[in-house]
Amino acid sequence: MKTATNKTHNASMLAVAIPASTILILLVIVSIGAEWIAPYDPLKQSLREALQSPSPAHWLGTDNLGRDVLSRLIFGGRIALISSLEATLIAVVLGVPLGLFIGYRGGWWDWAVMRLVEAVVSIPGIMVAIVIIAILGPGLHRAMIALGILYSTAFLRLARSVVLAEREEVYVKAARVIGASSNRILLRHILPNIAPPLIIQVTLTIGAVLLAEAGLSFVGLGVQPPGASWGTMLNTAATYMALNAFLAVPPGLAIVITVLSVNLLGDVLRDSVGRGIAISVKPTTPTAKFAESTTTSQPKADDILHIQGLQVVVNSKDGSEFPVITDLSFSIKKGETLGLVGESGCGKTITGLSILGLIGTGGRVTHGTINLNNTELTSFSTQQMEQIRGDEVAMVFQDPTTSLNPAFTVGDQIAEVLRVKQGMTKKQAWARAVELIDRVGITRPAERAKAYPHELSGGMAQRIAIARALSCNPKLLIADEPTTALDVTIQQEILDLFRDLQDEFGMAILFVTHDLAVAADICDRVCVMYAGELVEMANVDELFAAPRHPYTAGLLSAMPHASDRKPPLPTIKGTVPVPKLWPTGCRFSERCDYSQKACEQLITLTGTTSQVRCIRANEINMGASI
Amino acid sequence: MLRLIGQRLISLIPLLFIVSVLTFSFTALLPGDPVDLIIGDEGTAEQYEMVRERLGMNVPIVTRYFQWLGRAAQGDLGTSFFNSVPVMDAVMQRLPVTISLTAVSALIAVIVGMAAGIAAALNPRSWIDRLATFGATLGQAIPNFWFGILLVAFFAVSLRWFPATGFTPISTSPWEWLRSVTLPALALGLSSSAAIARQVRSAMVGVLQQDYIRAARAQGLSRRRVVFKHVLKNALIPVVAVLSFQITILLGGALIVEQVFAINGLGSLAISAVRQQDIPMIQGIVLVSVFIVVAIQLTTDMIYGFLNPKARPS
Amino acid sequence: MNKWIKGTILSVGITIGFSSSFAIAADTPLGKFRMAEEVKLITLDPHNHTGGGLSYLRPVYETLFYRTPDARIEPLLATSYKLEGMTLEITLREDVKFSDGEPFNAKAVVANITRGIELGVLAGLKPVEKAEAIGDYKVLITLKAPSPSLLLDLTGNSGMMVSPIALQAPALDRNPVGTGPYVYNAEMSREGEVRIYTPNPTYWEPEQIGLESIEIWEIPDNTARLNAITTGQVDIGKWLSSPQAVILDKTPGLTLIKRPGGSTYHLVISDREGTKVPAFADKRVRQAMNYAIDREAFAAAVQFGLSVPAFQPVDSGHWSYNTAVDGRFAYNPDKARELLAEAGYADGFTFTMPSIPVFSARLEAIAGFFQDVGITMNIDPIEPGTLARRSRTTDYAATNLVWRHLADPSLLTTYYIGESGIFNPFKVKPSDKLSKLVADGLAAKEIDQRAPIYSQVFEQLADESYLIYITATPLLVGTTDDVANNPTVNFRAGESSPYWRGLRMSQ
Repeated sequence: MKTATNKTHNASMLAVAIPASTILILLVIVSIGAEWIAPYDPLKQSLREALQSPSPAHWLGTDNLGRDVLSRLIFGGRIALISSLEATLIAVVLGVPLGLFIGYRGGWWDWAVMRLVEAVVSIPGIMVAIVIIAILGPGLHRAMIALGILYSTAFLRLARSVVLAEREEVYVKAARVIGASSNRILLRHILPNIAPPLIIQVTLTIGAVLLAEAGLSFVGLGVQPPGASWGTMLNTAATYMALNAFLAVPPGLAIVITVLSVNLLGDVLRDSVGRGIAISVKPTTPTAKFAESTTTSQPKADDILHIQGLQVVVNSKDGSEFPVITDLSFSIKKGETLGLVGESGCGKTITGLSILGLIGTGGRVTHGTINLNNTELTSFSTQQMEQIRGDEVAMVFQDPTTSLNPAFTVGDQIAEVLRVKQGMTKKQAWARAVELIDRVGITRPAERAKAYPHELSGGMAQRIAIARALSCNPKLLIADEPTTALDVTIQQEILDLFRDLQDEFGMAILFVTHDLAVAADICDRVCVMYAGELVEMANVDELFAAPRHPYTAGLLSAMPHASDRKPPLPTIKGTVPVPKLWPTGCRFSERCDYSQKACEQLITLTGTTSQVRCIRANEINMGASI
Repeated sequence: MLRLIGQRLISLIPLLFIVSVLTFSFTALLPGDPVDLIIGDEGTAEQYEMVRERLGMNVPIVTRYFQWLGRAAQGDLGTSFFNSVPVMDAVMQRLPVTISLTAVSALIAVIVGMAAGIAAALNPRSWIDRLATFGATLGQAIPNFWFGILLVAFFAVSLRWFPATGFTPISTSPWEWLRSVTLPALALGLSSSAAIARQVRSAMVGVLQQDYIRAARAQGLSRRRVVFKHVLKNALIPVVAVLSFQITILLGGALIVEQVFAINGLGSLAISAVRQQDIPMIQGIVLVSVFIVVAIQLTTDMIYGFLNPKARPS
Repeated sequence: MNKWIKGTILSVGITIGFSSSFAIAADTPLGKFRMAEEVKLITLDPHNHTGGGLSYLRPVYETLFYRTPDARIEPLLATSYKLEGMTLEITLREDVKFSDGEPFNAKAVVANITRGIELGVLAGLKPVEKAEAIGDYKVLITLKAPSPSLLLDLTGNSGMMVSPIALQAPALDRNPVGTGPYVYNAEMSREGEVRIYTPNPTYWEPEQIGLESIEIWEIPDNTARLNAITTGQVDIGKWLSSPQAVILDKTPGLTLIKRPGGSTYHLVISDREGTKVPAFADKRVRQAMNYAIDREAFAAAVQFGLSVPAFQPVDSGHWSYNTAVDGRFAYNPDKARELLAEAGYADGFTFTMPSIPVFSARLEAIAGFFQDVGITMNIDPIEPGTLARRSRTTDYAATNLVWRHLADPSLLTTYYIGESGIFNPFKVKPSDKLSKLVADGLAAKEIDQRAPIYSQVFEQLADESYLIYITATPLLVGTTDDVANNPTVNFRAGESSPYWRGLRMSQ
C-alpha cells in the first residue's frame, strides 16, 4: 500500500512542481533580460496613444499615459523579483543569526527577544510595515527593509526552535562524552537540520512579500511612480477603471500566477521534506489468486452471527482493488464468546468492522454473507445498518482514550446513544447513563458522568466505552483488543467485567485479540486468522492442547507462561506479508518450517467442528516443535 | 472560565508594556525634529520653544514615556500634531468602520472556509475536494486589493448592484451599510476563507480518522449527526486557533482594501499619519489596534476553552 | 473654450437676482445641502488656512467684503469703505453678533487683522502694516506696500472675522466661531469624513437661512466623489480635469458646469539659484524643461480635453493676457536636449517633486516628458491638503501648484517673485528686470496702464522659465440637475462653493 501511495504522490508532486518552477524560471529570465525582451521602454509615454486596448503594436494595450503595458509588466516583474529577494534576504540575515544566538544563549536574552517578537507579531503585519515606513520614509527599498524586519520574526523563531531541539539531542547524546567540543557539535548538528525548514520558510516568505509589496505600492508607500511595479500598475488601473477595465487584468494576473507558483512550490517542498524522499517500489509478486468459497452452510437456529465466504477488498490510491480478507466463514452461538486471534495485519479488525458495515470508503465486501440473528446484513442500506448498530451489535475498541470523544463528557456520550436509539428524554437518558456507569463498576457514577475522557484513567475509560456499547442491549458485542492498551493489572479486571456482563446481559462476544493468554482466559472457541484468511478454528481447550496449524503452534510457543520464563521465547521468523504480496498458495509458507512444494497450491479449509487450513496438518505433530 | 481569562489577562501585561515602549520609541526613531516639522522653515526661536513645550519635549524621554503611558491608560492618547483633534477621537471615529469591515469579512471567511473545508473533507479526492483545495491555494495567491478592483468592475461598475466606493454607518441605514460593506468584505475575506478552508479540511480529515468517530458510528449514530456534532466540534478546535491569527491579518488587510473602496477607516488615517509623520496619531493607531488584537485573542481563547475541555485549567 | 463661455453666460444669467431682488420668505428652513470637497480639511482657522478647501470655512465665517457672481466687490460685514493711497477706512455693520454672543465691532476686526499679520501665513495680509479702531464701528487699515488686490483679499480668508474669544482658544482649527448663517456642529461632524453645519440662531438676517443643515464631505478620491454624486449622497462636488469629470459630464441627471475663474496648473522651480539642485540655476535648463512638455497631448490625454495649453498664469479672457507669449514653448524635445547639452547637462539630472493624488497622473506624464530629454523627476506623494504648506518649505527644490485666474496678477510678486514671496522658500532675489516690472505694475492704478506692464511680466517670466505654465482649466462643478436648475444656488466667482445666504433646497 505504501509504495503505491508514494508513486502516485510523486507523480502529482511533479505535475505541480514542473509548471510552477517553469513559470518562476521564466520570470527570472524575463526579469534579467527585460531590456532586450520588452518591446518598449517602460517609461516611454505617448499621450496620444493613451488607454488603448490590446493591439498588434501593444499586445496588452497602453495605460493612461500611453505607455506599453506589456513592457511595464516585464519591468514590474524585475521589481517583484528584486524586492522579494531583497526582503527575504534581509529577513534571513536578520532573523537566523539572532534566532541561533538567543536559542544558544537562552536565559535573559531569549526571554527579552521573544517578548519583543511576540509584541511585533501581535500588531497586524501591514501596520508594522507602515510604521517602519513612517520611520524610513516611502520607497521600494525602504518598504522592503520594513518587510524584511517584519518577516525576520518568522526566521528568528524557526532558527531558535531548531537550536532548542538540537541542543537537547546533542547534550543527551555524544556531547556529554566529548565534553568541551559540544558547542561545535551543536553547530554541526544545527546546520543540516535548519536547511529544510529554512528553504520552506523562504518560499513562504517570498510569496508573502510579493503580495505585501504589491499592496504597499498600491497605496503609494512602496515603488514610487512613474516606476513600473505590479502594485503601482494596479493603482493606475483602479483610477482608470471606468475608462479601461482591462488595465487591471495583466498586473493582477502576474501577481496571482507568480505567488501561486511560489506557494505551490513551497507546498511540494514541504511535502517532500515532511515525508522524506519517497522511493516507489513495484510489487514483485503478483497479487494472490483466491478461491471462491467451496462449502456453503446455513446458519443454525442458535447462531447469533453466521459469516459465510466473506471477501473484503480495499482500493489503493492508483484505483486498483486488492483483497484483505478472503473466504472467511465462522459463526457465533447465542451467549458464546468467540476469540479471533492472529498477529496485527491479519484482518481481525476489518472482520469486526465489516460486520458493522464500517470498513470505510476505501473498502467493500465483494463476496459472502453476514447473517446477524437471521438477518442478512450485506444487502442493507446505510439507514438499515444504522438501525442495527448499537441495538443488535455494538463494538468496543482497543484504545479507550481515543474511542471516546474528547470534546464531550462521558455521560453525554452514553446518554446521546440512549436518546437517539431508544428515544429516551434527556433526563431519562442521563439517569440511565449514570446507572450504566455504576454497573460497569465505577464508583461515584453521577460525578464521573460529568467528566471528560481525558480526566479518566485508561481502565475507567474502557469501562465507560463498554457501558456505552451495552447501553442498548446488543445481542452481539465485538470487542476489538479491548485490553491491549491497558495495564496488566487492569486487564484482568476488564476481562472479569466482560464475563459478569455476559452473564447478566446474555450477549455473544466476538473477542478480537493478538494475545493468546487473554483468548484462553475468556473465549469458548477460537478462530486463528493469518493474512486475511482463517487458518484454524477449534474449541479453546483443544486448540491450546493440540494446535494443528504451524502458525497456531508458532503463536502458542511465543506465548509467555508465568511459570516458565527462563528459556528465551521462540518467535515466528519474518512478518505478516502485506495483502498485495500474499503468496498464491499457503500464505504462511514463507515463514513455515514445514513448507514444501505442495504448499504453493491453493489450500482449502478442512474439518467441521474444528477446522484447519494446512495440507500437512495430519502428518506432522505440532506439539513436538514446541 | 474566569480563571482562564484571568490568567490570560495577567500574561498580557508584559506584552502591552513592550508594545507601548516600542510604540513610544517611534518619537525617538523618527528622522528630523517633530517641532521643525510643525512650525516649518519660518518658525522663530520663540515659536520653537513654545511648540517644544506644548509637545512636552523638554523633559527627559523616560519621564515623557511614563507621562504618555499614564495618559494613555486614561484614554488620552494626545493630540494630532497638525490639528487640535484628540487622537482618541480620531481613532474612535474611524474604528467602527474598520471593525465592521473586519468583522463582516471574518464572518464571510468563516462561513465560506468552513463550508468549503467540510465539503472537501467529507468527499476526499472527489471533484469537490479538488475544487476546494485548488480554490484555497488560488485564494491565498490573489491580492485582496486586486480582487476588490475586480469586484468593483463587475458588481459595482457593470451591474450596479453595489456602490463602488464609500461606507454607510450601520446606524444611518442597516441596508445601505450591508450594501456598502459587502464588496470590501468579500475582497478582504478571500484569502482568510482559503486559509480557513485548508485548516478545516485537514482538521476534519484528521478527526474523521479518529477512533471515536468510528466508535460513534458503531453505536448506530447517523453520519449526519456524527459529522455535525462529533466531528465538527473537534475540528473547530484548530480552526479557532487560526481564526485569531486570521483576524489579525484581516485587520491589517483592511488598511489596504479600504483604499480600493475609498473607505475612511483606520487605514486612510494611518496612511495620512505616516505621510505627515503625525507621531501621536501613529502611536495611537498602533496602540488601539494592538488592543483590538489582544481582545480578539482573548475571545478566541475563551471559545477555544469552550470547545476543548483539555485547555481548561482544572 | 466656447463651451465654457456659454456656461459663464448661463451662470451669470441665473445669478443676477442675488441679495437685492431675490426675496426670501421667512418660513422654516428646508432640506439639506450636501457638497463634496476634493481636498481634506486641514484647519478651520482662517488665518492659518492655505491652499484649497476654503469652502469648509464659508458657512461659518463671513468676510468684510464679498465678490458678486460677476466678480464685483461689495461690502458684506462692512457698510462702506474709503480706499485712499496706502490706507483703507472701513465702516462696519452695527447689528452683527458672533454666534457665541460676542459683539462684532471695530475691536474684533482689529484683533483679527492683527492676528493675521502676526501669523504671517496669508499672502493677502503681507502688505498690511497695521489695523486700528478709529471708532466703535470704524477701522483704519494701513499698508506698508501698495496692494491692488487688498479688497479682493478681504473677500477671502484675510477678511474672515473670528470671534475675539475664539481667537484666544487653542483649538480654533476645529472650533470655528464666526458671524455666518450657519455654525459648525462638531458633535455631528465626523473627522476626516464629513463636516456638518446647522443654522446660527443669532444670525443677523435670519431670513437668509434656508437650510436645515449643510454637509461638506471630504472625498479626495475622484471615483468616490463621482460615486457619491451619482448615488445621490451629495448634491454637488468640485472636480478637476479627470476621467471621472468626463464620465460625470456624460451621466444623465448630472451636469458638469464649466465656469470661468478656473486655474492654471504650473510647475514652480523654487530652487532657482541651485542650492539643492545645481542644474536649476541655469536658465537654459529651465527653458529646456519648458520645451520638453507636449501641452496639447497633455491637455487631451491627461486632462481629457477639459483644459487648454497655457504659457502664462492668466487665461485668454483676462485683461493682462499676452498673446505674444502664447505658444512660446511649443513642444520641441530636440531643442530641449540641445539646451540641456549647452548647459552641460546632456546626461540629465535628478530632482524630486511633491505630489498629491489629484495631481499624480499629471506629474507622471510630466516625468515622462522630462525622462524623454534625460531629466529624472522623482515623485514624492504627500498628504492631500498639505501641498501648499510643504511648497513653502525648502523640502522640495520644485513644486507644482495652480494659479487662480481671478487673482490679481500683482499677487505673483507676493507668491513667487518677491524675495519674501510665500512660494519662494529659497529667498531668491528677482532679476533686476523683473523687479522693476513688478514695481511698475504695483504703482500703476488703471487697468489700461497695468495691462501692458503685466504682459511684459509674463514675457519675462517665460524667459526666466522658473514658473512653467502647463494648462488652463475652467472651474468644474459637478451637480445634479436639480441643483443646476435651483435659482437660489449661486456660485462665488472663482470658487466652487455657493453663497450660503439665501440658498434653499425644496424637497
